[in-house]
Amino acid sequence: MIRALAYGTREALASLRRNSLMSLASVTTVAVCLTVLASTLLVAGNLDHLAAAVEAQVQIRVFIAEDATPETREALAKAVAGLEGVASVEVVTREEALERLREQFGSRRELLDAVEEMNPLRDSLEVAVARPEQVVPTAEVISRLQGVAEVNYGQVFVDKLFSVTRFVRWIGLGLVALLTVATVLIISNTVRLTVFARREEIGIMKLVGATDWFIRWPFLLEGLFLGMLGAGLTAGLTWQGYPWLVEQAERVVPFLPLLAGEAAREFVRRTNLVLVVLGAFLGAVGSTVSLRRFLRV
Amino acid sequence: MIELVRVTKVFPNGVVALQDVNLFVDRGEFVFVVGPSGAGKSTLVKLLYREEVPTEGEVYVDGRDVARLRPGQVPPLRRQIGVVFQDFKLLPNKTAYDNVAFALEVIGASRREIRRRVPQALDLVGLRDRARAYPNQLSGGEQQRVALARAIVNNPWLLLADEPTGNLDPDTSWGIVRLLEEVNRRGTTVVMATHARHIVNAMQKRVIALRRGRVIRDEHHGRYVRDDDELSSLLEEMRAVVSP
Ligand SMILES: Nc1ncnc2c1ncn2[C@@H]1O[C@H](COP(=O)(O)OP(=O)(O)OP(=O)(O)O)[C@@H](O)[C@H]1O
Ligand SMILES: [Mg+2]
Repeated sequence: MIRALAYGTREALASLRRNSLMSLASVTTVAVCLTVLASTLLVAGNLDHLAAAVEAQVQIRVFIAEDATPETREALAKAVAGLEGVASVEVVTREEALERLREQFGSRRELLDAVEEMNPLRDSLEVAVARPEQVVPTAEVISRLQGVAEVNYGQVFVDKLFSVTRFVRWIGLGLVALLTVATVLIISNTVRLTVFARREEIGIMKLVGATDWFIRWPFLLEGLFLGMLGAGLTAGLTWQGYPWLVEQAERVVPFLPLLAGEAAREFVRRTNLVLVVLGAFLGAVGSTVSLRRFLRV
Repeated sequence: MIELVRVTKVFPNGVVALQDVNLFVDRGEFVFVVGPSGAGKSTLVKLLYREEVPTEGEVYVDGRDVARLRPGQVPPLRRQIGVVFQDFKLLPNKTAYDNVAFALEVIGASRREIRRRVPQALDLVGLRDRARAYPNQLSGGEQQRVALARAIVNNPWLLLADEPTGNLDPDTSWGIVRLLEEVNRRGTTVVMATHARHIVNAMQKRVIALRRGRVIRDEHHGRYVRDDDELSSLLEEMRAVVSP
């Protein structure tokens, strides 16, 4: 067993060296395929991030009944904070609301001086939910609470937004799925070619009494090496290339909510892990599967 | 020992390569299998190392019915059989030494054993000084001797040779046959399919003659064809070559 393993490793390395041109072609194919896949994954990841960023800006504004006492106001705030799925609650008094409005008016703030005496604004709560899909049901629950005059979350806008973000996510997922299938096909086909080029050798091995596993080992290891090498190239490229691309993009379109910084590094790290595992798996399994036909001698 | 009992081989395309063949070869024998092209010689040899399985009948090799082996039992069968082919079937990217060593690596021999037995085998075929050459650097005769060394390096009790001299000139052919004879003298059973009339006639060994998939003659100290119908056989063989 140990001997067969040692032999397999030796043969795999020797074969990589002997068929260096073929190996180079395979590694390149794997690297190119996985790079396209990686780009798609990164784009999909950013789309998801973008959707999440937009969704996170959706808030529920709860207007409190005019006749509510400060006590009911506090009680209401507490009750809302205790609801499932609510991330944070901020009480905005009518004075604070006016102050904010003033800030927004900026240089023309004196226009508001007129209403200072008879502030038309109402006390309200700003409610943020943990997950975007909780906006609608949470708003529903809040509207039935004591002391609530009105609940507002831009109903029509939110519905549209969510269907758009859902669509964007599906597109990302679809692209990734399609490209994964294409990558699997191309890589296994490449490996099949290397196996096919050596079918005679396999026949001779069978003839002198080699077991199937004895023959498989070197091919499996070779496929594994090729797949990992190709994936490694891709990983290096995304590791170096993605931050650079983000930098370029931010220079052109500032404030775009791209995945950047530590979150991006984490995302690229995870993507790369997937790529290397995928590359190794496809290389190993691809060669083993394509061997099957030639082992039937 | 080898025993074929009522063996018939029909290929999927309907060609009947062997029909109702009965045969017994004892350990230590030297047997020629002769017959015109398409008679079924290669098919017979392939049945013995289980490249093909019979459509009907049993093929016993060393007491086991080869046709009923599970896939896992095929490698052990092949390890006790050495095979030599007309086209050598050497691995082109391995040296002569490595080609021979390969047959030992496959059965999991230790490095020490490999270092001991490969030079012995190469010595026997007289190629020790060409050990580092690759197949494309060797002549046809030399390549066939490497193939022979590979076939005998793990001391098989049975050596199968399917037209081992088919691509070689008469002198070189005799060299190979002398080696087969030497291997046989050391106790290995040898079965050789051949068209080499002069060799068969000179060797005075057992001859099994096939024609259209049937055994038509099986005699010790035999000749390539019987004297009395030498001419008609020759004619038939020529016809087979012209319109196979
Ligand atoms: N794999 C195969 N599929 C179909 N028919 C085959 C196959 N192998 C051999 N045959 C046919 O079976 C018959 C016997 O073939 P075989 O190779 O045994 O003849 P042979 O005696 O070795 O001939 P030769 O002297 O030319 O080598 C031939 O008619 C051949 O065409
Ligand atoms: Mg033949």
